[in-house]
Amino acid sequence: MTVTVELTYDMAKLLGTRAIPLEGPRTVGEALRAARDRFGDQGAAYDRMAEVAAVAVNGVLVAHRREGVRLADGDRVTFVKTAAGG
Amino acid sequence: MIKGFAGRVLELDLGARTFAFKPLDEAIARLYLGGKGYGTRLLYDLTQPGIDPLGPENPLIFATGPLNGSLAPQSNRFAVVCKSPLTGGIGSSACGGSFAFGLKKAGIDVVVVQGRSELPVRVEIDGDADAVRFLDASELWGLGTEATQKALGKGMHHAVIGPAGENKVLYAGIVSDARIAGRCGVGAVMGSKGLKALSAQGTRKLEMEDEAGFKKYTQWVRQVFKGHPVLGEKLRRFGTLGIVNTTNGRNMLPTRNFQAGHHPDAMGLSGEYLEDHGLVGVRSSCLHCPVACGREVEVPGAGRVKGPEYETAGMMGTNLGITDLALVNRWNWMADDLGLDTISLGVTLGFAMELQERGMLATGLAFGNPEGVAEMIDAIAHRRGLGDELAEGTRRMSRKFGGKEFAMHVKGLELSAYDPRGSFAQGVEYATTNRGGCHVQGASMYFESTGPLTINPQNLKLKAEIPVVQQNLACAVNSMVLCVFTTYGLVPRHVHALKPGGWMHRLARVLFENSGPAYRLIMGAKLFQATWLDTWLSRVTGMRFTPGHLQEIGARIFNLERMYNLREGLTGADDTLPDRILNEPLFKHMTSGHPLAELLPRYYEIRGWDAHGVPLPRTLKRLKVRV
Repeated sequence: MTVTVELTYDMAKLLGTRAIPLEGPRTVGEALRAARDRFGDQGAAYDRMAEVAAVAVNGVLVAHRREGVRLADGDRVTFVKTAAGG
Repeated sequence: MIKGFAGRVLELDLGARTFAFKPLDEAIARLYLGGKGYGTRLLYDLTQPGIDPLGPENPLIFATGPLNGSLAPQSNRFAVVCKSPLTGGIGSSACGGSFAFGLKKAGIDVVVVQGRSELPVRVEIDGDADAVRFLDASELWGLGTEATQKALGKGMHHAVIGPAGENKVLYAGIVSDARIAGRCGVGAVMGSKGLKALSAQGTRKLEMEDEAGFKKYTQWVRQVFKGHPVLGEKLRRFGTLGIVNTTNGRNMLPTRNFQAGHHPDAMGLSGEYLEDHGLVGVRSSCLHCPVACGREVEVPGAGRVKGPEYETAGMMGTNLGITDLALVNRWNWMADDLGLDTISLGVTLGFAMELQERGMLATGLAFGNPEGVAEMIDAIAHRRGLGDELAEGTRRMSRKFGGKEFAMHVKGLELSAYDPRGSFAQGVEYATTNRGGCHVQGASMYFESTGPLTINPQNLKLKAEIPVVQQNLACAVNSMVLCVFTTYGLVPRHVHALKPGGWMHRLARVLFENSGPAYRLIMGAKLFQATWLDTWLSRVTGMRFTPGHLQEIGARIFNLERMYNLREGLTGADDTLPDRILNEPLFKHMTSGHPLAELLPRYYEIRGWDAHGVPLPRTLKRLKVRV
């Protein structure tokens, strides 16, 4: 099963990638941890930015219950800024 | 005269080349304020049903409000009201720039342009001398908005049209500085009158009831704006392009004519990307605005120009399958100079691409391919070849070439860049807004999906209440006349500070989502001044305003607009959404589209309308709407 974790712009700039394809995660929590593991020493920076972003699965916010949300093949897990004017 | 108003209406007859200063109707101003409210009342009273929007009998009304000239933040806007050639209903659009300031300094609240000039004409208003000059504009005819304003010089403040307005493109706008009254085809109406430019100047001072109190309070508001997470940080740093990543992440960024809500490369159109790639400056062409959301970009051959807004990035970017910011910068500059609304333009181009894709019309345009787009934009503005068809907008094209099910408009006005399948309240707002499918007549999406509280935008809770409250508020704001961004500051920074995964955020969201009637009750309370909007109005005019008064005034304006539309033949059947939005699922969990049919009866009920969307007599009586 393949899912993709998409980062915010700030995260992408710092971590050097916009999207992380992952094999195997079955929940949002597993996907986010697997994505974090990709960044080794930069994991702390990942955590700081992830904490203030919401998380959406295929565009739907999962917010507080994100850890346990189950994923399906092809799902897109996206960090989203919580407010944007315009 | 009520303080805050100059007290004069200037009536121009372009055919006879005559003018007259008339006193502002104080009774109307008390009920409707200025701007859009006053303009709508005038339009209703001055016209007969069924007039030709591009005929001389359609008045073009430029209206300021009581806060213009006050130096309140974002108080540089004017409203334009007329019958829309694009929708056949109420046409209203607002614009930044400096024209409102010039008009108010000239001692004029409202200009009513009647008739038609056989030859291109421009009008100069010298408010100090009470002089109006009708001048030949033949040499300006054909020039872009930038060259026109340059030729007119900096001595006066201008509202001009480009070639699109001259050629009566149905979504042509009116430009002041680098800002545009883009929606509803107000520029086509100006072009139909042969009016190239309206310029004003003067040195009159705005009289306020409590000037010292106003100034002191405004200083405090400016500080609030500067420290606000959206007004002082996100909008200031990224402009409106800062919303691209949010809507893209939430699957509601129109992509390939609303066939999708996400583009994997949309980040390249974002304000964050622009900050790192190609931003050459910040340009606030709106007087007295501490937010300065305008961006400057470099377009080869054109130099430093105003960059695209979020709507442009959405409709002329991902909606066309394009994520190259340099292309969008160029097309945006072209549209501004030609005087075109980039929202309607982008949707119409997207529609033309889908017609091509389906083999229904050989447009030569394809999603993801920039080839031919710039040429088509120019052809639209000059009504050359196929551009003449696209100049008619999406609704008329779909009637002629088919594709009604994917023609993305409401009442003939093309949808903005928030897919309502990811924002149900915004969908109700699109469907019911009197001028058609537009986001700035309420901005409901901010209170459900792009703002800090992020309630569930895909259930039915609060999805009829939010549009009513927001539409009313926007009507009032557009009658003061302020920028709708002013309202974003009403959500305090403490709410923005809540962590999205935390229990406080969850609690606030649940409380808001389930507030129902209490929400409307609180927003309609007339107990005390609670926001800068009602406080400014009170201090400038000397009249008593509260948030409840603003809701009442806004509802009055909204209902009068509704009565105008009904008079022009629109009905409740026009309160709908494109078939694609209603029937095609956009999210994985969806089996259909937007649940408008479930929400509309509730919306009508809250509005005090009957089941067909007609305001009940008691509603009109309560709101003092005379029809």
